[in-house]
Amino acid sequence: MQFFFEVLIGGLLSGVMYSLVALGFVLIYKASGVFNFAQGAMVFFAALTFVGITELGVPFGFALILAFGAMILLAIATERVVLRPLVNQPQITLFMATIGLTFLVEGLAQGMWGASVRGLEIPGIQDEPLEWMMENTGIGVSKFDLFAAGVSAVLVVVLALFFNKTRVGRALRAVADDHQAALAIGIPLQDIWRIVWAVAGLVALVAGVMWGARNGVQFALTFVALKALPVLIIGGFTSIPGAIVGGLIIGASEKLGEIYIPPFVQSTFGLETNLGGIEGWFPYVMALLFLLVRPEGLFGEKHIDRV
Amino acid sequence: MLYREAGQFKASYKEDQQIFPIRQDRIAIALILAFFYLVVPYFASQYWLQGIMIPVLIFSLAAIGLNILTGYAGQLSLGSAAFMAVGAFAAYNFVLRIPGMPILVAFILAGLCAAAVGMVFGLPSLRIKGFYLAVATLAAQFFIVWALTKFPWFSNNSSSGVITAQKVEILGYAFETPEAKYLLTLAVVTVLALLAKNMVRSSIGRSWMAIRDMDVAAEVIGIRPMHTKLMAFAVSSFYCGVAGALYAYTYLGTVEPEGFNLDLSFKILFMVIIGGVGSIMGSFLGAAFIVLLPIFLNVAMHALGGWVPQGISSNLELIVFGGLIIFFLIVEPHGLARLWQIGKEKLRLWPFPH
Amino acid sequence: MNERTIAERITFHDAIETMEVDFSHLTMADTVQVDAFYDEVENRLADTGRRWYFLVVYTDCVIQAQAWERFAERGKGANVAHGLGTVRVGATSQTRDAIREHAGRASFRANIYDTREQAIVALGEMRKRRRDAQTAAEETFLRVENVSLRFGGVKAITEISFEIKRGEISAIIGPNGAGKSSMLNVINGVYRPQEGTVTYLGHPRHQMETHEAAAQGIARTFQNIALFKGMSVLDNLMTGRNLKMKCNFLQQALYWGSAQREELAHRKKVEEIIDFLEIEHIRKTPVGRLPYGLQKRVELGRALAAEPILLLLDEPMAGMNVEEKQDMCRFILDVNDQFGTTILLIEHDMGVVMDISDFVVVLDHGQKIAEGTPNEVRTDPVVIRAYLGTTH
Repeated sequence: MQFFFEVLIGGLLSGVMYSLVALGFVLIYKASGVFNFAQGAMVFFAALTFVGITELGVPFGFALILAFGAMILLAIATERVVLRPLVNQPQITLFMATIGLTFLVEGLAQGMWGASVRGLEIPGIQDEPLEWMMENTGIGVSKFDLFAAGVSAVLVVVLALFFNKTRVGRALRAVADDHQAALAIGIPLQDIWRIVWAVAGLVALVAGVMWGARNGVQFALTFVALKALPVLIIGGFTSIPGAIVGGLIIGASEKLGEIYIPPFVQSTFGLETNLGGIEGWFPYVMALLFLLVRPEGLFGEKHIDRV
Repeated sequence: MLYREAGQFKASYKEDQQIFPIRQDRIAIALILAFFYLVVPYFASQYWLQGIMIPVLIFSLAAIGLNILTGYAGQLSLGSAAFMAVGAFAAYNFVLRIPGMPILVAFILAGLCAAAVGMVFGLPSLRIKGFYLAVATLAAQFFIVWALTKFPWFSNNSSSGVITAQKVEILGYAFETPEAKYLLTLAVVTVLALLAKNMVRSSIGRSWMAIRDMDVAAEVIGIRPMHTKLMAFAVSSFYCGVAGALYAYTYLGTVEPEGFNLDLSFKILFMVIIGGVGSIMGSFLGAAFIVLLPIFLNVAMHALGGWVPQGISSNLELIVFGGLIIFFLIVEPHGLARLWQIGKEKLRLWPFPH
Repeated sequence: MNERTIAERITFHDAIETMEVDFSHLTMADTVQVDAFYDEVENRLADTGRRWYFLVVYTDCVIQAQAWERFAERGKGANVAHGLGTVRVGATSQTRDAIREHAGRASFRANIYDTREQAIVALGEMRKRRRDAQTAAEETFLRVENVSLRFGGVKAITEISFEIKRGEISAIIGPNGAGKSSMLNVINGVYRPQEGTVTYLGHPRHQMETHEAAAQGIARTFQNIALFKGMSVLDNLMTGRNLKMKCNFLQQALYWGSAQREELAHRKKVEEIIDFLEIEHIRKTPVGRLPYGLQKRVELGRALAAEPILLLLDEPMAGMNVEEKQDMCRFILDVNDQFGTTILLIEHDMGVVMDISDFVVVLDHGQKIAEGTPNEVRTDPVVIRAYLGTTH
């Protein structure tokens, strides 16, 4: 049981990471209707840029700011080069464009900073078990994971405040509801897009630094980020709470699945092969099954076709 | 002045419904076929045949498959490579386990296996659209590659799932030289491309496009969405499956599941986007473009020598691919095939500007 | 015993739609007698101006051989002109044989009964059979009963009932948001109503798959043109014939023999519609490039290509100029006229609706507020208040 909880908590905490990436997707989708496949590449780009800057000897905090600056530049460039020319195109076209953007951004990131795997240290936070938790319950919970969860929580709160309390945030929500209406009341769409992509860039930066500190900054980050897609299907494409809950579900279920399903299948069917590594596809298949039950996601709105 | 329709009057609907209604097109196609069947095998080097022509043909076939699904039926898929993998491993197992299995029959059966798997993963398309579906096809991509790696039966217990294709022999003739393999690939691809062209100009093709363009309206005129979409998945996967079998048997010889990864799926998607969404011809153009581009970039880099920083050159391919996708989506969403069309229209009017 | 006049021998029983002719104790020896009798019968029948069942009493009636020919001929004539069916009573076996023989058909059921009671019972059965057949012929074409449709908490349609008749042009009118389009969507299965039934061709149903509706001959056009933008006009129309194409995809892939023949046969049919709608010049143009008015026309063509029994038109003239509207009106009337297609349309242009419709249903806020002929509706104070008065 103790082991179960350890796996569960570990899964939930890594789910926080998925949530962070999914959050970036949701922000952009809500504001511009673009399903940004490049969010994973942006995480990679942000992490690599940050590491690259720190390697130049820039202090941690200042490097963060510089990396954020780079994400803002990326947002502006994306709006100008990709979004603006494709305005009013079908969603699927924009989606494919963001696949192109994925390659472009990955290429740029590695081109600038090299393709080798880098370590990333967050000062003062080690990836070691929390002592009092270990002593009292025997369950090992990484300090680092807890820290990441805390940062994510703060980020979500900040975003919620930003969307609900600021003028820009309200404008963003107006755009999300109806592009035409937003234009009609004088909200410049292009500014909104830049801002929202920049915010998504910030989320990507946070996610990238967290993931990078955990597993090293490497190309595989982009694959991890792909797992945000099933998160979105479960949580709904338009819901921030959905992204959080979906991430936790995916994180927990894939870790539990990885531990419990292969041995179960092996013993049931008397197989000798090692069936490990189901983590690679388990979230997607789960999302698929979920789609059959609730296509709009846990928190998504049901869509009615008007004809 | 050579390319004119004037004077070619269609006296019957039959003439008007021909696959290539313009006489010059028919002549051009005949010349192109003659060129690829008769001239290329004699004059192309082994490297060109094995390293460029065969993969271009195989990818063209896969791109036709994806084009049927994405370009014609409007169902985005990011799992084409996985269906190729199914085809490759199915063909291998049919030849391995059924003595005396003719290779072409094995290819067809491999295609059918891929079609069956494709239909299973196409089922979610009945309820979801667009990028939701893209996520569903990612499930196929990751699951199939995982399954082929983890279950040693598929690869006859070889380590990490590597299979080596058996000899290709038809009626006692062994296809061993690049020329022979090239001609075999070309023949399979020609036939399947012709069938694809026929399908997309018949009622099944119109059903696909109707579902793509306006699914509610399509349903209202009696097109069954389930049937039509699953059919698109089946036919598309069949093409990818046969392409996968050829990939193993006439191109690489030795393949492993990991070779059919997400990157390959993306490559096929890029072929479709750059070649022309909803165009059989475009699939060939796109495949040629995507296969030739890295080779061209390599040559260009070498020519520039030390001028290009190391970091950039190794990632240039990614950047160029990504940039081109965005460029084509913005500037010419119908891809090279559309440019080809425009070229023809210009030619039809030449030497007059309008 | 010829004391009764011919007139006295003829009785009309209105309650059972029957004319009784009494030949009892009569001897018909020549054609003159027969003609005199039948002239009187036919005169009396013609005066009523309607059709009757005949009850013929032959008790002790003798018809001589030379009169039979004439008798049978005149009897048939009366029956064709005024009869619904005949029962006979009390004929001798000789008369029976003669009737059978002169009726000329071996299987002819002479409907000869021994007693008048038996004959009248048989008559009752005959009348019932005919009534049933009549009802079947006039079966409900399209009846909407107590249909309610909600989207989440929003009520789009509340308990709407109406009926439209085969062969007519009916219209649904009402202000924006009255639930007109939703009503069409319920009829052809795009939306599933929470309550109520839709009876189409005599079959009541609660829900239906959209493509089933298409298979049963319901076609439609859309408010916002729903053409297949990536396809040519010809292909759009050919798609309309999809349901009628039977070749499987393998035959189509080979495009040989039956597949090619089928394709050409349907092409021919589609060309007829292209002629009808006068769009020959644009048949190969991608529909996305056409002006709005022509797109509307192509969409009508796509619906017609399916050879529908019921055609639903959702604002077929919205956004058109006067000339285009006239054209569209003409096409709608022609479709109704030439193909006998029943049409149910939604339209905002009141002039058009009143001109071409036989029957109008008025909706407001998801409820039916009136129905009737254009004239009845036009003068209905509720309609004037709710619709005409406020928006026009």
